[in-house]
Amino acid sequence: MARYSATTALAVEMSSNQFTVASPPTDAISALKFSPDPNSTRIVVSSWDKNVYLYDLRDENGVVGEGKLLQKFEHRAPVLDVCFGETENEIYTAGLDWDVRKIDLNTSEQTVMSSHEAGVRNVVYSREHNLIISGSWDSTLHVHRPDAGSNTQSIPTTIPLPSKPFSLSLTPTKLVVAMASRALHIYDLKALALLTAQADSDTTNGNTVELEPWQRRESSLKFMTRCVACMPDDAGYASSSIEGRVAVEWFDPSPESQARKYAFKCHRQTAEDGVDVVYPVNALAFHPIYGTFASGGGDGVVALWDGISKRRIRQYQKYPSSVAALEFSGNGKYLAIALSPGFEDGKDDVPEGVVKIIVKELGETEAKGKGAK
Amino acid sequence: MGKKRRGPTMDELLARPWCYYCERDFDDLKILTLHQKAKHFKCERCGRRLNTAGGLSVHMSQVHKEQLTEIENALPNRSGLDVEIFGMEGVPEDVLQAHQQRVAAQYHQAEAERQAVTGNPPSGSGAGGQPNKKPKLEDVSDLKARLAAHRAKRTEVAAGGSSGEATPLGAGQSASTPTSYGQPSATASPAQQQQPPVQLTYPPPYAGAAVPPAAPYQQQTASPVYPAFSPPVAAPYAPAVYSPQPYPGQSAALGYGAAPPHFPQQQTPPTDTSLPPRPGSMPTLAGLPQRPAFAAPPINAQLMQQMHMGHPAPPTPAHTNGDARQSPGQLSSTVDELISSAAKEAAAPEKPAKKDKTKNTRMIYSDENTSPEEKMAKLARYAFSRPAFQQETALGEIPASIIVGTIRDQDKVVDPAH
Repeated sequence: MARYSATTALAVEMSSNQFTVASPPTDAISALKFSPDPNSTRIVVSSWDKNVYLYDLRDENGVVGEGKLLQKFEHRAPVLDVCFGETENEIYTAGLDWDVRKIDLNTSEQTVMSSHEAGVRNVVYSREHNLIISGSWDSTLHVHRPDAGSNTQSIPTTIPLPSKPFSLSLTPTKLVVAMASRALHIYDLKALALLTAQADSDTTNGNTVELEPWQRRESSLKFMTRCVACMPDDAGYASSSIEGRVAVEWFDPSPESQARKYAFKCHRQTAEDGVDVVYPVNALAFHPIYGTFASGGGDGVVALWDGISKRRIRQYQKYPSSVAALEFSGNGKYLAIALSPGFEDGKDDVPEGVVKIIVKELGETEAKGKGAK
Repeated sequence: MGKKRRGPTMDELLARPWCYYCERDFDDLKILTLHQKAKHFKCERCGRRLNTAGGLSVHMSQVHKEQLTEIENALPNRSGLDVEIFGMEGVPEDVLQAHQQRVAAQYHQAEAERQAVTGNPPSGSGAGGQPNKKPKLEDVSDLKARLAAHRAKRTEVAAGGSSGEATPLGAGQSASTPTSYGQPSATASPAQQQQPPVQLTYPPPYAGAAVPPAAPYQQQTASPVYPAFSPPVAAPYAPAVYSPQPYPGQSAALGYGAAPPHFPQQQTPPTDTSLPPRPGSMPTLAGLPQRPAFAAPPINAQLMQQMHMGHPAPPTPAHTNGDARQSPGQLSSTVDELISSAAKEAAAPEKPAKKDKTKNTRMIYSDENTSPEEKMAKLARYAFSRPAFQQETALGEIPASIIVGTIRDQDKVVDPAH
């Protein structure tokens, strides 16, 4: 049976459609997010060109294709992250201007939610607990309540971290913070929400709260963590490093579950001189339905993995530039890929036409795991 | 006259692909490769199926950090990793020929048994077999007639004739023997191979089976055709499969069999010397086709005799072996090809293994403390001076929250930067 899977996989891959989204950002892309609404085809993209772009892949007739740019929101500084809020009409942005902003897409009104003391790398929104969490290079997390915008007395709760956070990822119950020095904290969102509410009502303690994470972990990878992404079933997470490797781990602290964790090499190429060129794995994204995940690397390759059966489902043809961000749509039918020139080598110039947003229309089972051997 | 087919012909049998590791044969090359992937090149740790032994070896060392020592489910003497097999490719020539000889031997044996039971002529020789059969039978009747004549003469002599006459008669008999048996030496010469005498089509298959391990392999070792591959393969292989045990003491059989199909010139002399006693040695050949792995039912002397004398052999073995004999150049070229392709296959998977050991890697981004984004943020074109905007922000956007202590706190941090 297994011998036929290759051919069917090929057939599916052949049938998969790929679009290049029109009017991409003019500089490197920092983040790309799909609307969490399963029926929506909206994408927000934040860029180093100081703008946040809102696209819809559907045209006026509802046909999904290269899409169109709906809106563009200019910021004072390069924008490093963006996420959708409670509805797909509000987004939160974080950037080099140290601010976390809320943008109402209908009115284009921008509200500063909080200001960090350094560039803000990540911002995430928890629908279940109605919290906005931002992570900044000032080694803090800010936890906001979105309704705080109306209450000027409300200020974000600051949670100090041992190192700079590089990547945040949420499940319905947990927050995973991957930091410098290979540190990793897992917070319980319920405790976080409770604490924030408490701190909010109590303004005397300066709103800085030492919150002991639910779990402290050291990264399973030897090098700097590049990205972390949680499984949609709330069981664990995958993390990637700058050294072409991805680790898959489980939250459950029991020895049995911890024994299941593993890491594997990927996004490597053998150069002509026989040296293995190792690319950073910039992006990870889980498929919301199948629980498989995609990885995107500095080599411009996107691969789909089945984290449970430990198999690669497929690897797409190499793109001309580094993959900066990846995300599956809410219904799992599309995979959006942000291509940006290899900003890992600090290139000074971004040639035109290199920054691209590719949307793959996935076949019925294209991202489905192959199952156990 | 649609005659019902009894079974596969020798040609068909010989054309069947077979597995080097377990000697099983298959209908199709595709099925053979699938068999090899499933039985011999499957990783015992994770069940992954590789295409070749080399591939499996690399997989084991890279994925499981283990060393592959032998091929699973292989015959004891075939479990080595030194031969790179893919389907029928890479099978050493000597093993290939041994296999063909064995297939031929088994075919003949089965034929003989069937003939013994049914009394039918051999299959596959239908029309072609009959004409061949006749001269042969004539030969035998001739012989018998001569023998009868000789006996009559002898009795005559014994009755009172001169003893001098006995010698010419005996010589006559011995002269008649060469006509039927003397041709084996001619068999070796390619020219006469075109019309092989019926009996002589047999020697090649049995010759191979009875080859004493030492002599031919020494030749092969020296042969430029087997520069590196043959000796290690042949050495472990020869003793086990070409077990000489069934033939101890059968010097005649050994001598008779010493004509290997592929080195006729060197082997011709022993063939010549040992051939005359062949009729006598025939019964002892009964044990020859038997191999350790394929114990064929023993054939009694009579059966064997019938097998060799009673029916002509289908031309196939003569052709296969004749081909090998006639075109040593072609043979060696195909062997060369096989070896070079096998060598290539073997060399290819070794490369990544080497890399893995030396850990020759180059990281595109290797700063352990600063993320690429932080580095980028430091570029001049992305420079953003937050303090310059601070007042603006404070004035414009959060005047109300200035009352709150924390914000003032933030201001304090910012101020020194001013």
